[in-house]
Amino acid sequence: MTGFVLTPRGAFDARVDLTGVLPGASDLERLSIGYGFRRVALGELFSVSGSGAERLTIAGGSPLLDRVAAGLTSGELVVDGDVGAELAKGATGGSVVVNGSAGAYAASELAGAHVTISGDVGERLGAAGDGARRGLSSGTVVVGGSAGLRAGERQRGGVIVVKGDVAEGAATDLIAGTFAVGGALRGLAGRGMKRGTLLLRSAEGLSSGFADAGEHDLVMLRVLVRRSEALAELFGEGLTRARRFAGDLNVAGKGEALIVSA
Amino acid sequence: MILNGVEIRDSFAEAFPMVGTRLIITADTPKWAMIAAKTMTGFATSVIGCGCEAGVERELAPEDTPDGRPGVAVLIFAMDIKGLKAVVPLRIGQCVLTSPTSACYAGMEGGDVVSIGKALRYFGDGWQIAKNVDGRRIWRVPVMEGEFVCDHESGTVSGVGGGNILILGTSRGEALAAAEVAVEAMQKVEGCILPFPGGIVRSGSKVGSKYKGMFASSNNAYCPTLRAQTETKLPPEVASVQEIVIDGVSFDAVSACTKAGIEALVALGRDKGVVAIDAGNYGGNLGPYHFKLREIMA
Repeated sequence: MTGFVLTPRGAFDARVDLTGVLPGASDLERLSIGYGFRRVALGELFSVSGSGAERLTIAGGSPLLDRVAAGLTSGELVVDGDVGAELAKGATGGSVVVNGSAGAYAASELAGAHVTISGDVGERLGAAGDGARRGLSSGTVVVGGSAGLRAGERQRGGVIVVKGDVAEGAATDLIAGTFAVGGALRGLAGRGMKRGTLLLRSAEGLSSGFADAGEHDLVMLRVLVRRSEALAELFGEGLTRARRFAGDLNVAGKGEALIVSA
Repeated sequence: MILNGVEIRDSFAEAFPMVGTRLIITADTPKWAMIAAKTMTGFATSVIGCGCEAGVERELAPEDTPDGRPGVAVLIFAMDIKGLKAVVPLRIGQCVLTSPTSACYAGMEGGDVVSIGKALRYFGDGWQIAKNVDGRRIWRVPVMEGEFVCDHESGTVSGVGGGNILILGTSRGEALAAAEVAVEAMQKVEGCILPFPGGIVRSGSKVGSKYKGMFASSNNAYCPTLRAQTETKLPPEVASVQEIVIDGVSFDAVSACTKAGIEALVALGRDKGVVAIDAGNYGGNLGPYHFKLREIMA
């Protein structure tokens, strides 16, 4: 079963708010969605085809598509193309696959879903939204490309994997969870970090509050790569050793950055 | 029923419901995984005196363990979930946490849960680290050697405790040798443990005693030296009896284990000193699980 397929009728002139457009939603064509400053029926912007409640495909993405899969609880949502801001915000279950790039606040406040983005993401990946105290708390987000400013800000749990580079301020005020980066850090990473683990290729780019705690054979690394397919893919299943940097000691944090040699 | 000269008596083992959990203990080497497992399952022969019954279920290859190191699966049973919750963290804390290079993981899901890291994390004195990966919480407790890693908790199962067979032999040596052969076969059955020393009980008990406060006492009907003084279940040619007690995760597991043991004994036959195979019961009124020897071997 292919599920429902939404195909854009043309280019969008304004931002589209796809809140509530989820697998299993009923009467999709008449569903009211935000379009710029007004609301329209989804059928005005997308043609709807297919059937099935477990999967929804957006066949043609755009950076103007905001809140795709926001609040997802189950099922699979696939986007062939780019998406805008707040992808999968607050999603508690199911899976989201974006075959393209995502805008700001992707996977923000994620609470259990699995999100895969093949391209890049904008600022504040997995972060806490305005007024929220906690960012991503459980679930997994995997980014094939690079991430923008302050990725993982106030992350509270779960796993974030960025295969490429991460811009300044990654893991700022990170509370807990695992944040893995396959590429380079661009500075000020882990500032204000309370607990949690950064898995990195290099200590270059860490904030000044991290101190070297030496090289260790950590059983935990063996468990991580066996329980997380994304981490195994990034670091290999033979991962056993890392150099541990404790921080952010400037705020008496008990977090760590584990530097995994290539 | 007589098989290869061995009488299979028209009897049954009477067993009881127990609550159990499986834990997977790993270490850098098979030797240290086994040391931790055997220490952790020590002094756990009978729930009457030890609070639980525990034993090594099987060794695990590195590819079958959560951290890719050599491992051992152990099973622990108690009379109820409250008892199990009391003994599991205590045993892990004293025997696995302390054992070099060890780690401890949940070996089953579902049912009530018993604490592993949920209780032991406090040993970290605030330096412990939790990780939530793939929906499971795991703890890292810093220790002098490095880190002790364990799952947050383990699931439990409603199991069966007290399955048994009695091996009636022509001499002490032959009865023990036969029991050892049976134990080797029975230990291959997944989901079961034989909690007594080497899997064997040389002092099977009956319920009650002439002395106040004794819940169990020597099973005089099977004691060869009392043949002339008490009602006996032993034919004249039997000079020694060994018992094998079985705890398992299900009725079927205990039944399969019983069958494996009897088959091994039958294969030895009367020529190797196995006269008869019997089972211990209390008349069928106490335990809801009955393992009828002849039905199992039919």
